[in-house]
Amino acid sequence: MEKSLLKLDKGTTCTSWNYSGDRLASGSVDGTLAVFDLRHPASSSFACTSRTKVDEGSIVKIVWVPPEYGDAVACVCEDGTFSLWEELTEDSLPVQWKLCERFKSSSAKVLDVQFGVSPSSLKMVVASSNGYVKVYELTNPMELKNWQLQAEFQNVIDLVSPSSKTLCLSASISWNPLRGEGQGSSFVLGFSSDSPQLTSSKVWEFDRAHQRWLPVAEMALPDDRGDQVHGVAWAPNIGRPYEVIAVATEKGISIWHLSLNVEVDGRLSVEKVASLSGHEGEVWQMEWDMSGMTLATTASDGTVKLWQSNLKGSWQEQATFVPT
Amino acid sequence: MPGAASDSGGGGSAGAGALVPLSSETKQSPVYPLRHSVGPPVSPRVSVCWARGSSLRVSIFQQQSPSCGEGDVGGEVVEVKLSGGDGEISDAQWRRIAYGSMSPFAMLQSRRNSVSTLSRISPSPYHVDWWEFVMEYSKDINALLGSPRSTPASVIEDPKTVLKKSEKPTSLKAAWELMELFYADKLSQAWLPERLIDWLADYDSLFSGSCATVHSKLVDFQNELINIQVIEDNPRYWEVIGSALAVGWLEIVVKLLHLHGSYQLDQLSSRETESGLVEAVAVLISRMPRMRLELGDGRLGECYKAKPDFIKAWEKWRAQITKMDCSAYWIQCNHLQTREGLKNLLQIMLGNTNSLSSATYHWLELYVSHFLYVRPFTVGLESMHGLAQKCIQLKPVPRSQKLMGLLLGILGENTEVVLAECSKQFGPWMVAHAIELMTAGSDEAESLLCEEHYNLGELSIQELHRLVYAQVLSSHAFTWQIAPVYLTSCMKQGMGLLEILLCKQPVQHNELLHKNLEICRLYELDSVSSHIMKIAGVHHWKHGRKGAGVFWLQQARDEFRLHKIAQQLFASVGKSISDESFKQWEGLIELLGSESKTAGGLEFLHKYRDFKRSLKHIHDGKSIEAAQQAVESLMLLMKNPSTPQRFWLPLLYDSLKLINWQDRPVLNVTQTNLLLNRLQELSIARLRPDFVEADLPSQALSAVRLALATNLGRAILEE
Repeated sequence: MEKSLLKLDKGTTCTSWNYSGDRLASGSVDGTLAVFDLRHPASSSFACTSRTKVDEGSIVKIVWVPPEYGDAVACVCEDGTFSLWEELTEDSLPVQWKLCERFKSSSAKVLDVQFGVSPSSLKMVVASSNGYVKVYELTNPMELKNWQLQAEFQNVIDLVSPSSKTLCLSASISWNPLRGEGQGSSFVLGFSSDSPQLTSSKVWEFDRAHQRWLPVAEMALPDDRGDQVHGVAWAPNIGRPYEVIAVATEKGISIWHLSLNVEVDGRLSVEKVASLSGHEGEVWQMEWDMSGMTLATTASDGTVKLWQSNLKGSWQEQATFVPT
Repeated sequence: MPGAASDSGGGGSAGAGALVPLSSETKQSPVYPLRHSVGPPVSPRVSVCWARGSSLRVSIFQQQSPSCGEGDVGGEVVEVKLSGGDGEISDAQWRRIAYGSMSPFAMLQSRRNSVSTLSRISPSPYHVDWWEFVMEYSKDINALLGSPRSTPASVIEDPKTVLKKSEKPTSLKAAWELMELFYADKLSQAWLPERLIDWLADYDSLFSGSCATVHSKLVDFQNELINIQVIEDNPRYWEVIGSALAVGWLEIVVKLLHLHGSYQLDQLSSRETESGLVEAVAVLISRMPRMRLELGDGRLGECYKAKPDFIKAWEKWRAQITKMDCSAYWIQCNHLQTREGLKNLLQIMLGNTNSLSSATYHWLELYVSHFLYVRPFTVGLESMHGLAQKCIQLKPVPRSQKLMGLLLGILGENTEVVLAECSKQFGPWMVAHAIELMTAGSDEAESLLCEEHYNLGELSIQELHRLVYAQVLSSHAFTWQIAPVYLTSCMKQGMGLLEILLCKQPVQHNELLHKNLEICRLYELDSVSSHIMKIAGVHHWKHGRKGAGVFWLQQARDEFRLHKIAQQLFASVGKSISDESFKQWEGLIELLGSESKTAGGLEFLHKYRDFKRSLKHIHDGKSIEAAQQAVESLMLLMKNPSTPQRFWLPLLYDSLKLINWQDRPVLNVTQTNLLLNRLQELSIARLRPDFVEADLPSQALSAVRLALATNLGRAILEE
């Protein structure tokens, strides 16, 4: 049933597949970015095509830039900086990975970076350890160098802002994966932090009329607002009349339906439709399949689990994979 | 399933069966091991990513520790195909089935569309024939699942070959035929029991794996046959004859009876009565009345289509058996085994339930024996279901047998169970295709399968299973091209998934890219195709294939990116205007030129290209026509507002040869004045802080000024 695709380098800490699943970027403890490619389109064997030193410290996360902006990745490092690297061929030199931009901040560590495509431009959301979220916009679609800071805000829904000495340990961002024309951009964001106001997952939507980001929904029941969020995942929607978002907190995974209709107060109504228990320990990663019907999760128990809803709308564990 | 790379056992199909369970029973979900070769210590942190379709990629890392484990492998990525294979059918065979079933499916869908269009115009008459289309579809699919069962008999028949060897049947084909005869084939509705008897004759061997069957007993006996001296003395001989008779394999029974020793020439005279009895029973058997449409060539029995005729014949036949049973000849038969064996056959034919029960092994065999000899008039699924329950009680079988759940679901008229069994035992291909049969079967099933469920995002079960199957197809490079056929048959969400699928195809390889775009064109997915072309354009541009990059961006009508490219070109042109660099981007301008209006700046580049070319023609400094053409180009450039100011001086510097034309001035007074004005503007612009100095020799400006002034003087004189 399982088949080995490739072997990772010594010291590899994270991996990330590109949009088509025929390139894998891996990051290692010594700051090396390795890229693996299919040997040829019909084969299923991969080979390492480049190794680039991107940082002195360990890489903790790699995120691919959407393909219409080139073959590029963001590498988040352990020290809280991140850099953008792009594969380029210049002036008849062989193809190589080049640094586009390095983002550093003395005040806070970067916890998560995710890219979202809006009809006009590429947007990048960066969540930091001080609880702030920055949204950047790419000014020239042919170059990943020039980023303009479009907005900066905290993950709070009411106006009372949390104390300034907030410390967040992890953050999770997930963009609404739909790319249709005329669709506004939105993403969901949650923190694991010592400030209960910041933690709960909220959906942020760009209000084009006023050129600002607004929180339109909160994915937490009143009693659970302070729960540490370990992961969020927005499911692809191929035609459902509502959106589906998975949120993993210290209490387990929950599935939320997000209505597409705006209510009077400008919010979107949400409904928690399922609580999925089965993982022992903290959930690390959640990934929806391309139809948005199956959710794959991993956790500190070292297992991979698959979840699906049946016809009655009840979510169930479908399978568990245990590396042996 | 199609697309499954390799199935190495270990539980078979993960998820394949469980994809969208219909029952809400809470049971433990299966646990599968993920084998890998990462040396210890293995980090508990695994990472997952969905590849196209339903395959999952899992990265397994080695724990980071100062004393890291041995070897130089720090982890491994494994791929798990969730639509795991089926041990019965190879991957290649699955792909053949996937490709083969695509066109019957597409054909049926297009027929459905045209029928529904027609019925809107004039209702009624078309609905009647719908099942015939479904039957045609079913036959096409069935043909893919294996060769037809009735293998032609060899010319010289070996008298000792009782069972003909034929291709091993698959339970997939068996399941398909079962669904076909119960749901699609309206002609068989009145003869369901008879059809089931035939079905079991074809597929009895499938049940031999986990328990004894009539088939397995016959195979065993056949293997022994050569070594048996006096066949009629062997109790197994009579046993297998009884079994074969019980399940209605009349040809085999008669053939076996003819192996009886009394038929041998040397014994014919001494065992006349015995031989007569055997023959009489054989004749009775071969005259068994059957109520069915037809009997194939070489099949024994007598066929009756109308019930009254059949009843008459049946009663007559039974009377003959009873008479035979009471015959006086039995006493004269000295051979005990023959007498008892034949008597037992008569009991079977008379429907003696004890005889039937001991002659059969599997409940299905007992079941069909009841249809044959006890309740030949059984009609209706309800009574068939009741009888099945009774037979199962008498002969329980292991629950795991593949076709049992399906058959019971069909008999119990439980659409959900049938669907779940199809899905669990045969995977997404079966469900997606068999639903067509089920919807043709009954209105209830149709409404259940086509009703939209809010919990599924307003999907119907039918559509859901097509999506699931399409996803399985998408996960393999050889089959993803089939997926659009199924996706486009989904009214609600198929197109959404198709768009995602197409956007996830790699663009680097032209062949694949064209294939991809062809599919977009076919289904009028313009926004998707322009998205794909955009990705291709940017990819090529950034990988040094500038021409291909511009071409694809133009195809995508991505004016924003093209504009940025034009700006980038200006910058490179502005840096050096040498012939060397001109060569580099001349081709690009050519490309951009065809639709130069898509980006304003490109218009300039196009004109600049013309100018450069005409300058080249006047290299010898003699051709006045060429010089005049170059002047035209130059003037166009200098007049045009889209020409960036920073190019003015380089352009004029390039034109020194023109301005200083030896024979006579080629620029007239007006033209020279315009150029002088431009030069003046440039001098003023130089005072501004943001002015970019062209990369030219320091005396360039004065050289141009001098040349223009000289030319002006000559031009005035000329005029």
